[in-house]
Amino acid sequence: MQTHGVPMEYYQIVSALLFTIGLVGVLARRSALVIFMSIELMLNAVNLSFVAFSRMHAQMDGQIFVFFVMAVAAAEVAVGLAIIVAIFRNRETASVDDIHLLKG
Amino acid sequence: MIDGVLFTVFALTAVGFALTMVFRRNPVHCALSLVAVLLSLSGMFILLNAQFIAVIQIVVYAGAIMVLFLFVVMLLNVKGETPLLTPGAAKGFGFLFALVAFVELLWIALSSVGEGAGRGTAPPVGPTFGSPAEIGRILYTTWVFPFEVTSILLLIAVIGAVVLAKRKFS
Repeated sequence: MQTHGVPMEYYQIVSALLFTIGLVGVLARRSALVIFMSIELMLNAVNLSFVAFSRMHAQMDGQIFVFFVMAVAAAEVAVGLAIIVAIFRNRETASVDDIHLLKG
Repeated sequence: MIDGVLFTVFALTAVGFALTMVFRRNPVHCALSLVAVLLSLSGMFILLNAQFIAVIQIVVYAGAIMVLFLFVVMLLNVKGETPLLTPGAAKGFGFLFALVAFVELLWIALSSVGEGAGRGTAPPVGPTFGSPAEIGRILYTTWVFPFEVTSILLLIAVIGAVVLAKRKFS
């Protein structure tokens, strides 16, 4: 039997902090690549929350959900980076300020 | 006791490197900081009895996904942006929005920690909790349908990436 010393609130606080930092990155940065990395950071913050709640309730379904989140993140990175490469090949830029084709 | 020390180290590393990731100009530095965040999160997963998740965090995230990121960063030779952040009102709005989201997240997460089991403490679990065998047992019984759907998703992602990378857009 294993017990746990750290209060579960602390994990939620760290998770919320990481999510917010990722959100700042998505909203304030201009490079599409760094925005993409910030999205990964937000996904990981949510994963930490999932694992902490899974431990808190002593049920493993949260860990299964983290597994699926990782699979979806891998698929998302493959397609997203291919899109960024395609945009860069056509327009010689990876800055979201210069990509406004759909703006009308 | 040792739990608390390790948690503090991992939490400080994660938050510190997350801040470096968002506020460094060079994309290579950003990617390497993100690797550090992922590694410290993997340490926290071990503290939370999620050994299998911790290992695939290192193998899939820090290994595969971040290598892909670094490849693209070096392939494209992207310059750091100047100025670093979006100029004008958008930046202020972004920070304000993030602050509001942080307060909201904290509120919801902390209030839901209080419910159910005794506040703040985690119940003791058996030695098989979070082990690969137990994960596999649940994955192939209760969650077998989502698992199969994930394989189709990955197949579609592979096809999509190949199509996007091959075609010349005009």
